[in-house]
Amino acid sequence: MNQTDRPVANPLVVLREEFDDWAVLFNPDTADAVGINPLGVALWKTIDGTRTVAQLVSQVRAGFADVPASADAEIAAYLDDLIGKGFVGCEPAPAA
Amino acid sequence: MSVGVMRTPRKLDLELTSQCNLRCRYCYFFSNPAVQYRDLSTGEWLQFFAELGSLGVMDVTLSGGEALMRTDIRQLIQGVVDNRMRFALLSNGGLIDDATAAFLAGTKRCNHVQVSLDGSRPEAHDSARGRGSWEGAVRGIRTLQRHGVPVAVRLTIHHFNVDDLEAAARFILDDLGLSRFGTNSAGYFGNCQRHADEMMLTAAERQMAMDTLTRLNREYNGRINAAAGPLAEGRVWRKMEAARKGGASAFSNGGRLTGCGCTSNKIAVRSDGAIVPCNMLPHLVLGYINRDALAAIWQGDPVLAGLRGRRETPLSDFEFCAQCAYQPYCTGNCPGLAYTLTGQVNHPSPDACLRRFVADGGCVC
Repeated sequence: MNQTDRPVANPLVVLREEFDDWAVLFNPDTADAVGINPLGVALWKTIDGTRTVAQLVSQVRAGFADVPASADAEIAAYLDDLIGKGFVGCEPAPAA
Repeated sequence: MSVGVMRTPRKLDLELTSQCNLRCRYCYFFSNPAVQYRDLSTGEWLQFFAELGSLGVMDVTLSGGEALMRTDIRQLIQGVVDNRMRFALLSNGGLIDDATAAFLAGTKRCNHVQVSLDGSRPEAHDSARGRGSWEGAVRGIRTLQRHGVPVAVRLTIHHFNVDDLEAAARFILDDLGLSRFGTNSAGYFGNCQRHADEMMLTAAERQMAMDTLTRLNREYNGRINAAAGPLAEGRVWRKMEAARKGGASAFSNGGRLTGCGCTSNKIAVRSDGAIVPCNMLPHLVLGYINRDALAAIWQGDPVLAGLRGRRETPLSDFEFCAQCAYQPYCTGNCPGLAYTLTGQVNHPSPDACLRRFVADGGCVC
């Protein structure tokens, strides 16, 4: 995934939030479920196809304290994982 | 809200109808004086499904009665699908035709259809379920298989089919080609309370079922499942007996009423819309759908909280368990059976009591 891609959540996927701010993403078409941490929940709520990966990372840095330098790669890997599972689609950046 | 309980239930068991084309002699559902046997409208169920969707419920199990008795069943299942849930369907199989199976397959959300099949031959099955029901069940299973719908089979063991278990396993696993099947036994609920003497297993029959199923399960590499009934009891009771003989320390879940974990992730709805903790506790009405908010019940109902807290109750509190050498290893088992047998939910169930089984001549050696 490139920093200029615009990920978009699969509208079929269910976000089940729990009391500890963790959550489960559930794809009813495949019965796949994955647990996500509070940062993953915050990201999930903003991946609506209007923001690039770079903008999402900036948002995380603004909203969470002590975000490590490795966050860019970790967020990209998280989104790649969700794309692989069919939880997220990706709108590629328009050709230059 | 106790630790470890989800914000909303992950699953629901929904009794969509009180109608059934059969009257099985051991059916848990019928003949319960606490239950109003009436059905909700299509719109009432669809309104509730929208609430479930908003709460992030993942799975529902649709039953009855016989869920396929509802003429609007496809509309209801579509409502489940539209609200981003998956479903399982419990059926006696007799009403499953090609059109129904094709519809279920087409939803792509069906975890499985569980068909009740109680034997390898009509006599073993029909003795409790009525003439012609075995043929209907087998025809239903084969129809589902033809359409690629995942099929599960549940075999309920009782006095009239306990000698058919070996043939039944071969029929289900070899002839029908299922990958596995589940077993339980007729329990002291509903219709079975009226026919207990003729339907329920004696200690000797329970012993025979336990030994036969344990042997068959070994032979079939674990393809026979059980959460309750003789196979499950055999597995647990052997561990308890070994622990007692070896003087082992208490099991982590032993010595308290920990036998039921259902209320940590699921809840049930009766056909009249009453929200209850479990299908086996239909007298404990927590509220009604579309009138009471499910999330509020799940998070704040005192009866539900009491059931969840049941697991802190030590077995030493009960006269029933006094002087029992199995106490450190026992979970007290199903609260539903505890209620029907003793009149108390917060009590160990006498049904799966190892000490009683041994006193009745049973052996887990």
